[in-house]
Amino acid sequence: MTALLELDGVHAGYGPTSVLHGVSLSVPAGGVVALLGANGAGKTTTLRAITGGVRWNGDIRFDGRSLRRMSTEEIVRRGIAHVPEGRGICTELTVDENLKLGSHLRHDGAEVRKDYDRVFEYFPLLKERRRLSASTLSGGEQQMLALARALLMKPRLMLLDEPSLGLAPIVVRSIFQIIRSINEASGVAVLLVEQNARIALDLSSTAYVLEVGRVAVHGDSAELQGNESVRRSYLGY
Amino acid sequence: MQEFLQQVVSGLAVGGIFASLALALVLIYNAMGLVNFAQGEMAMLATFVAYALVNRGMSYWIAFPVALVLAFGGGIVIQRIVIRPVERAPILTLVIITLGLATLLNGLAGFVFGYVPRSFPSPFSAQSADVLGVFVSYRDLGVIAMCGLVLLAVYLLLQRTTVGLTMRAAAHHPEASRLLGVQVSWMLGLGWGLASAVGAVSGIMVAPILLLEPNMMQSIIIYAFAAAVLGGIESPLGAVVGGLVVGVTINLAGAYLPFVGGDLQLAVGLAIIIAVLIIRPNGLFGRAAVRRV
Repeated sequence: MTALLELDGVHAGYGPTSVLHGVSLSVPAGGVVALLGANGAGKTTTLRAITGGVRWNGDIRFDGRSLRRMSTEEIVRRGIAHVPEGRGICTELTVDENLKLGSHLRHDGAEVRKDYDRVFEYFPLLKERRRLSASTLSGGEQQMLALARALLMKPRLMLLDEPSLGLAPIVVRSIFQIIRSINEASGVAVLLVEQNARIALDLSSTAYVLEVGRVAVHGDSAELQGNESVRRSYLGY
Repeated sequence: MQEFLQQVVSGLAVGGIFASLALALVLIYNAMGLVNFAQGEMAMLATFVAYALVNRGMSYWIAFPVALVLAFGGGIVIQRIVIRPVERAPILTLVIITLGLATLLNGLAGFVFGYVPRSFPSPFSAQSADVLGVFVSYRDLGVIAMCGLVLLAVYLLLQRTTVGLTMRAAAHHPEASRLLGVQVSWMLGLGWGLASAVGAVSGIMVAPILLLEPNMMQSIIIYAFAAAVLGGIESPLGAVVGGLVVGVTINLAGAYLPFVGGDLQLAVGLAIIIAVLIIRPNGLFGRAAVRRV
């Protein structure tokens, strides 16, 4: 499999504080990759570097092209959907308007309508609440809205920042199931940042563990899960 | 009763003028949390442009939309050249910059057009119509209709079009919008253009009443502040309702409170600002400010 996204010795930080000290990783087309690590390890910063939300050095390539000096808008338009920390729901707008923001750059009208049908199959609840303000949704429902909106962008890669954060275990399970079916049905690649290592390793085929801005361990998810010393020292379960 | 209703109608007409300028203030406040003190001067300059066009023999009904389009372009240019370089500066810096911009535009208009008040044409007849026994002037009705049309157009643009949707998203959630491919900086530019055009309507509508000169909008902007504050500063609907309420209030106060007359109407506008800020700081349509700590 060829790499869809490649990070090559990426350094990044906020002002004088540097957070990433040479992170290299790759996401194959259609693959699911987990990015794990403790709080402050640089997981979110890695995602922000990819979509241009933070200055970086090194190289980031998407589909063979460097993303250097591209604005967030340009990067996103190339086919990367980033569901940020906190989900990025526009609470001033309705559910429907949030979804429209996902598809507003697309011109393939018939395909868009099909994608809406598909999205409502995954998340029937959103269809019922289309006209309501997004601020009336619960945390789990907002996460569903964020995923649905990302899907409507017809991305080739989705960056998901802690989709399980603050949600009840049963909601987390159903959301991860949907992420799996989205990946299997449409072949969109996923780079998943998670604190919940167990569920992320179940979903992903490859995983990277960050420790203070460096990749400490990486490899096959199943192997990492089976390796007790890795589990104890880095994944905390 | 009849005189009362007549006062109400002409109050609605000036209220429509206040509402347009107040809406311009709200559009920019929503987009960047900034009260644009130059809004009135921008409207004044656009009115001078309309004046120059009419003076060169252009028909009023062509000059009016042309002036609005030029005001729209001018608003975008101001955002790109003056505001964008300091977008991330503290809010006080931005406020001072808009004050400086107001002084600059005022001086520019004075330099080019002079300070002698000029009469500005009104396209509406000065006669009155008898509506169910109440005499209302065609001018008032015309101003109400024009302001109503413009406000409706803004509403449709913001609520029913994709551009309007992305403008609203960019204003409230710039970071999240960027991740959805919205060109946030251009949306701010469009917001300034739109605000500038809407504000220009108030200038062009008020000019036949007040006579056109560089300081023409300086009292109108106070009423517009009152209207925006009354409506809750971030609510477009609130700005319109606030504008109409302020217009009718100052008109009735001028007619029925002998000590107010024509001279103290501005004081009524200021009193409204103070009263709202004391009694109901979030205005009629504003939401209570919630801050997580």
